[in-house]
Amino acid sequence: MKDRLELNLELELQAWLDGELSAPKARRIDQKIAGDEEASRLINELQAIKSALAGNEMPRNVPETRAFYWSKIERQIQRQADSPRPVQAPRQTVWRRWLAPLAGFAALACLLLLAVKPHAPSAFDEISSTGEGLEAVTFHDQSAGMTVVWLTDTAPARLIESPDVQTPAAGNSEVEVE
Amino acid sequence: MRQFLNLLLAGIAFSATALPARAGDLKLEARLIRGANDDKETAKYKPADPELSAKLNRAFKWKNYYEITNKTAGIALNQNCELKMSDACTIRVKYTGASRVEVNCTGHGKEICKGAYTLAPPQWLVLGGNDTADTAWFIGLRAIDNKAADPKKAMSKN
Repeated sequence: MKDRLELNLELELQAWLDGELSAPKARRIDQKIAGDEEASRLINELQAIKSALAGNEMPRNVPETRAFYWSKIERQIQRQADSPRPVQAPRQTVWRRWLAPLAGFAALACLLLLAVKPHAPSAFDEISSTGEGLEAVTFHDQSAGMTVVWLTDTAPARLIESPDVQTPAAGNSEVEVE
Repeated sequence: MRQFLNLLLAGIAFSATALPARAGDLKLEARLIRGANDDKETAKYKPADPELSAKLNRAFKWKNYYEITNKTAGIALNQNCELKMSDACTIRVKYTGASRVEVNCTGHGKEICKGAYTLAPPQWLVLGGNDTADTAWFIGLRAIDNKAADPKKAMSKN
């Protein structure tokens, strides 16, 4: 705390020496210098340093005039203000980082769907041919999920044996064809 | 971008292996059904599946439907399967892939009809005609969906 107070005092004394203080503050520092031995010693030291620097500072020749030098700084500030905000770039990068895998997964999902989903059948099929003397009528019962091919003949087909003469050739079985 | 390309290639490779698997065997169910108005045949034949009977009833006039034959078959791609439905009737089915079949129905050794159809489960394809003056024959064909159908039910001998 003491060091901080001393630092504040030093800064105030430096400002007083450079004539940067307001009149009330300058008066307060005047009183401090007059009443405080330490402050008086410090102000003497600062004055000595200031006078030493003022007398012995190396003159530097700047290749550009002061006005031109400051105009360069002003132009540089203007350029930075006009350039696009660098904040946009990271956001795009983040999106791209997520978008690429997502697009990959979407493409994969589409391919899987195509591979797994059964081919949508066409609702209507036409009979290609019938036997001699036969006519075929095809109709679709969509609600029943049934397509019927009805064959009309002048004579009954008799594809099913009479119940009394049914042979064991028919019946129920399971066939596997590879 | 590199990740995306890797995933895309993986997807293409997977689908290339998955697509041929889709074109596997066709499980086919074939039933020979008799349609009749006479009730006396009830004692000789067993009634047809109520679901199929109801469908046939929507389109035809017969009072009763009897199941004469019920067969199931597994048909490999581009292979033929011959099913004897009765002494007089035989059907030959060729599976051409993507649920498409070619059906050739023969009665008394003569070709009755021949056609190409789509058998998409649970749709029925029914071939039919007059059998006697007052009865009819029907051949119901249906693809069995291996995933959806109960395998025990689908492959059982009725």
